[in-house]
Amino acid sequence: MSALLSARGLTRHFGGINAVEAVDLDLAPGIITALVGPNGAGKTTLFNLITGHLAADAGVVELFGQKITGHAPHRIARMGLARSFQDLRLFARMSVRDNVLAATEPVSWFWQPGGVRAARERAARGAQALERTGLAPLARAEAADLAYAERKFLSLARILASGARIWLLDEPASGLDPASRARFTALLRAAVADGVTICLIEHNLDIVIELADRIVFLDQGRKLAEGAPESVLGDPRLAAIYFGERA
Amino acid sequence: MTAYLLNLAQLAAIFGLLSVSLNILIGYGGIFSVAHAVFFGLGAYAGAHVALDLFPDLLLAALASALIAGLLSAALALPALRVRGEYFVIASLGLQMLATTVFTEAQAITGGLGGLVGIPPPTLFGFTLADPLVFLFCCLAFLALALALVRQLMRGSFGRALMALRDSEMAAEALGKNVALIKTLAVVLGTAFAGIAGALFAFQEEFVNVESFTLDQSVLILAMVIIGGAGTLSGPLIGTLLLLLLPAALTFIPFIPPTDIGAVQQLIYGFAMTLLMIFRPAGLAGRAMGRR
Repeated sequence: MSALLSARGLTRHFGGINAVEAVDLDLAPGIITALVGPNGAGKTTLFNLITGHLAADAGVVELFGQKITGHAPHRIARMGLARSFQDLRLFARMSVRDNVLAATEPVSWFWQPGGVRAARERAARGAQALERTGLAPLARAEAADLAYAERKFLSLARILASGARIWLLDEPASGLDPASRARFTALLRAAVADGVTICLIEHNLDIVIELADRIVFLDQGRKLAEGAPESVLGDPRLAAIYFGERA
Repeated sequence: MTAYLLNLAQLAAIFGLLSVSLNILIGYGGIFSVAHAVFFGLGAYAGAHVALDLFPDLLLAALASALIAGLLSAALALPALRVRGEYFVIASLGLQMLATTVFTEAQAITGGLGGLVGIPPPTLFGFTLADPLVFLFCCLAFLALALALVRQLMRGSFGRALMALRDSEMAAEALGKNVALIKTLAVVLGTAFAGIAGALFAFQEEFVNVESFTLDQSVLILAMVIIGGAGTLSGPLIGTLLLLLLPAALTFIPFIPPTDIGAVQQLIYGFAMTLLMIFRPAGLAGRAMGRR
């Protein structure tokens, strides 16, 4: 099947640094792709280029067959591409429920279209996202008051509630205790089973092995390898780069 | 005495409207403006001209003031809103200084330092509102309208979007929020109400000049919002009452010589704000520290 999201030749330089250099990326539907690489490999920059938060120096991104290069982030998001952030960026002074409801409201105006019926449908979608992430009992709490793991789950709940079909997740499970991590990975698997396509950045190779169907290995802005987890992670040359034993 | 108290109550309602309107920008939108007095002034001049050149209808003056302040703010805000956080403060400071100069120099429109004088008492549906008590109720009605609108909007999707971009612009964008549009709507709404406050002020004082629309005034309105509690419904009202009544109350303290009241007031403001920011940074009506 053809890719839902495909990037060709994405390039971004910061001064003299090649943060991302001519990277191609294809996200095939219904699988989990992991971006792997040492710090500074350009993984988060690649996300920012795809979501429109950063302008690319060169390259093209297509989402559902439509060219989105140069579009504003909110337009790209509304097409069904959601992302999480390494530092979460929750709406800290809003309630957990409002964090999730905000993700269900598509129109930037004084009111939403569709009247009471649509509002009820959005509220139900938000409640379901809280239920699935186990945050329903905390719905009225302020996001800033949540514990670390709860914040991670709220970040995911927002994306769930948004109804997006493609998720870009930046280190979504880092720092979670084993029990929370198991719940988290189960949620991601359930989403994929529902037809969601996921691309995630992850440093913990255990999580990568557990979740990823496909791995893209980046180093110093370039794509060095791509393929099934066992073949990429089994490559001694890449392992040496990943663990900092550069030749 | 009654006249004095009525006058004070009218001012409290007008400044309440101002701080409630600035709270939309600062408290809910995180848009830190030190130029609110500019839009208060634009509204006052617009209202004064409607009263002097057409007829002194309160609703017509309020409408004209809201339109002029709101539309001009949209034109000015669109480029300025592209910059974030502290840079916007500087941009708004520039606007405030520019406007003070324009208000002073554009004599044909603003009357310069001499201002616009002899503004007749307002009329409503053909009746003249000569009774200060009736005018007070009109001011309170506008304040109540603004409060009801803010309450309604902030509980709905617009408020959520506005507060979302206050807490993280990038995350709001990533969830499909058109940040520039939402900010512009918030600024237009907030400054339109500031314009209405200006029209009321013109009728209340029967005279307007640039001295009411300077940086000092912008800072005073800002202080009302922050001391009372930015981002809360009642906070700006509490701040307004406190900062308006404090100077009035000081005049009743016998051992302060009248000439020193200004200095004492500044000392109290300074201390109060410093202590507040240390012990209760979210303002009097904001949440207390220590829960986080």
